[in-house]
Amino acid sequence: MIQLHNVSLAYQQDASALNNINLRIGKGEFVFLTGPSGAGKTSLLRLLYGALTPSRGQVLIDGQNITRLSPSQIPLLRRSIGVVFQDFKLLQNRTVFENVAITLEVLGWGRADIGKKTMHILKQMGIESKYNLVTQRLSGGEQQRVALARALVNDPKILLADEPTGNLDDANKNQILSIFKEANIRGTTVIVATHDRRLIEQSHKRLVTLHKGEIVEQMEKEAASDEQTL
Amino acid sequence: MNKWKKKQPATSKPFKRPTLAGDGYGGRAGFFLHRAVTNIRQNVFVNVVTIGTITLALLIVSLFLLVFVNLESAAENWSERVQVTVYFDKDLTTQDQAAFREKISALNGVSRVSYVTRDEAFKRFKSRLRGQATLLEGVRPEVLPTSFEIALKRSHRDTASVENFVSALKRIPGITEVQYGEEWVRRFNSFLNFMRLLGGLLGGFLVIAVIFIVSNTIKLTIYSRRDELEVMALVGATRFFIKAPFLLEGLMQGMAGSIISVILLFGLYEGFLHNAGSFLTFNPATSGLSFLPPEYIAGLLLAGALLGFIGSLTSLKRFINV
Repeated sequence: MIQLHNVSLAYQQDASALNNINLRIGKGEFVFLTGPSGAGKTSLLRLLYGALTPSRGQVLIDGQNITRLSPSQIPLLRRSIGVVFQDFKLLQNRTVFENVAITLEVLGWGRADIGKKTMHILKQMGIESKYNLVTQRLSGGEQQRVALARALVNDPKILLADEPTGNLDDANKNQILSIFKEANIRGTTVIVATHDRRLIEQSHKRLVTLHKGEIVEQMEKEAASDEQTL
Repeated sequence: MNKWKKKQPATSKPFKRPTLAGDGYGGRAGFFLHRAVTNIRQNVFVNVVTIGTITLALLIVSLFLLVFVNLESAAENWSERVQVTVYFDKDLTTQDQAAFREKISALNGVSRVSYVTRDEAFKRFKSRLRGQATLLEGVRPEVLPTSFEIALKRSHRDTASVENFVSALKRIPGITEVQYGEEWVRRFNSFLNFMRLLGGLLGGFLVIAVIFIVSNTIKLTIYSRRDELEVMALVGATRFFIKAPFLLEGLMQGMAGSIISVILLFGLYEGFLHNAGSFLTFNPATSGLSFLPPEYIAGLLLAGALLGFIGSLTSLKRFINV
């Protein structure tokens, strides 16, 4: 699903954010990216959704080399990738419904279908009763679930999350984690960048550790069954 | 494009493949329009500020235009006084009159030639000295000269053209005495040039200031919504899709601003300015200032719409880079 070959990224000529990264992530995998701040987690995710282009190396997503995409093809790539952030990036003056529906509007769906599908995903996230509230009136956990709904509403092939639980308490972290797992079970490849050790230890998933722009450690999935932890 | 996989849990009803709102740019026009109107409704304050700025900016420009257009038309009227007179000592026979008239009319820039007989000249002299009839005692029409009065076309009323015309006129055999108030023509023309220069400069600065202010206001309003641009880009919206509602919004703001400014201008004109001309004895030909001609109004409306549209277009360029 995702392949990185000798990928390097330099913001300026001296400081390199990523250095010779080689990584393969299979279809339907669940991967944690971890490492200290500034290790390159966010940069790696940004490469995957086409917000950055590597200075060297190739990034393949679903067999397509995205380093060769023209600017007009980037939006098409992003339609199969859902992204969530630590700061949610919701539109504060819009309702929950509008925030989620935007993904489907971009795809050109008709109104009736947008309504049905949006309410369906909100129900999955357990926030359907709040559909008509503006997002700034929601709690942090609820806001992150709206962001997840927006990312997942069109059933993306890949879900990228950058410190998704950074602003949340433990109860909310667990809820968010189980949403990731559900999405993963339904076939979405999930990549979560976090330095929250507890989150990683709890979920027994493949772990990729970055340090100073290089992969320093890779741990394969532990034997424990995922379904039990749900 | 829309890969709709049935991946819902078994408890939920599977959806059918979604219907699309419409293919291509045309099919989305309704969506964009709806989006733009919703944006305006959701950001009332920002829109009021933008429309207000455009309104005031265009009002200033249109007030300036109103004054300038009236000055120009006043100048046109004054320039009617640029007139060349050819004097003759003797009465001309009808043949001579016709011959001279023909030769004069053949010259470049002549708009009207009229012959003034001694009797006509005497009548004018008398009317000019009305109330002082004693001065006219013993004066008879025979002492006055006959003359041709020549009016010039608009394009030939500047100093150089008038002088060229006079020298050409003097080359016609039989014409010796020509008068044209050269000092007045010179002063009038230098005043006119000065006024146009000043108007051009002022107008130019005004337009630059207006473009600057409006484009910065629009830039700020778009800056305040940059997170929206970011989110749209994140969920895979094309540049066109992100821009279109903003451009429509800018267009609507521009049109609203220009319509309000024209209404305000008309209100100001009706309330204060339409009789200001007689107060200032500004324009001798008409009783007061005239309102802007329709093509100027159309120009203002168009300028407003363009201002909004292009202002949005250039501002969006800076913020869509995700």
